[in-house]
Amino acid sequence: MTTAPPVLQGERTRLRPLREDDLPLVVRWFNDPGVRHWLHQSDRPDATLEVAREHFWRPVAKGRALAWMIETPDGQPVGTLRLLEIDPHHGRAELAISIGETEHWDRGLGTDAIQQALAHAFDTLRLRRVCLITDADNARGIRCYEKAGFISEGLLRSHRLRYGQPVDMLAMAVLKEVWENASA
Amino acid sequence: MISESILEGEKVRLRPVEERDLPHFVRWLADPEIARWLERLEKAPTLEQEYEWWHDKRGDPESVLWAIDTLDGQLVGTTELRLTMRADRAELGISIHDKTHWSKGLGTDAVRLVVDYAFEELDLNRVELTTDEENARAIRCYEKVGFVREGVLRQHRLVDGRFGNTLVMSILRDEWEPLDRGDDD
Repeated sequence: MTTAPPVLQGERTRLRPLREDDLPLVVRWFNDPGVRHWLHQSDRPDATLEVAREHFWRPVAKGRALAWMIETPDGQPVGTLRLLEIDPHHGRAELAISIGETEHWDRGLGTDAIQQALAHAFDTLRLRRVCLITDADNARGIRCYEKAGFISEGLLRSHRLRYGQPVDMLAMAVLKEVWENASA
Repeated sequence: MISESILEGEKVRLRPVEERDLPHFVRWLADPEIARWLERLEKAPTLEQEYEWWHDKRGDPESVLWAIDTLDGQLVGTTELRLTMRADRAELGISIHDKTHWSKGLGTDAVRLVVDYAFEELDLNRVELTTDEENARAIRCYEKVGFVREGVLRQHRLVDGRFGNTLVMSILRDEWEPLDRGDDD
């Protein structure tokens, strides 16, 4: 079952459903060393269309994930945002975001996009908890997640490899009740 | 995959799960006192669902699954490593389904064998697990083996109609003292 998520309109970004013909762009972003440095799978071989279809598109096509393309107000695609492991029983999901156009970093696009996705997760999907993990040395990412209401829940030691070396990762989450009070 | 390795400890033997084990799992998992601690179970599985689970595990290259037997050959539970090879880590899962065998150190012995296998055979760097924060018996077992607490996932699971926290624990390769597997005693 394919579930296309709705278009979400923020102040600085517009989120529209990711399409299969976006995958070449996703592959190009993955293979940009500056972007890839922070990706959980950065030690994988270079991405190909086939790999992107398998790891990026299949969970969406199977209805287990929601994926959006993040666009600037003038319609330029700049990155992706996904809700993964959506679990209605426990009321939770995992968020994954990557801004692939590096000249658009540090402009608040990520924060804006995350706020739209959280509103969708809490108000429309009726989830109660959204979590993520990020590299513990990713100060830009952590600042952005904290602005969106995430707080740190733990430090996962040596959780992934970057250039073959173990990297600690931070587990973060935002709860609906906290998010509602903050945005009220 | 179903592990081909048979691992023998002081109290348990880990061996491949076989089809004839499945009816026992179904019977035990129907007991709320068992299912209560198993996060991925929303309700008790049927034999058909349990067969599907076993079949999926057999074809899954990122899973290593064992049945846990006592040394005299009684089936008591299952244990599993879910691998993320690109990150040199695995997640450990274990359940002693037969509660007449709880609190005898069988779980601790099984966890030791699996962690040793992860570091010494699979050459991993990290073994992690999550458990219900209220599962004091399990947490004590993991701490005895050397797992440390890394964090608490707030309101992470729905149990009996209310939301409970999940504890994240891990052990790293350089914290592990390999088991002595050469001796008979």
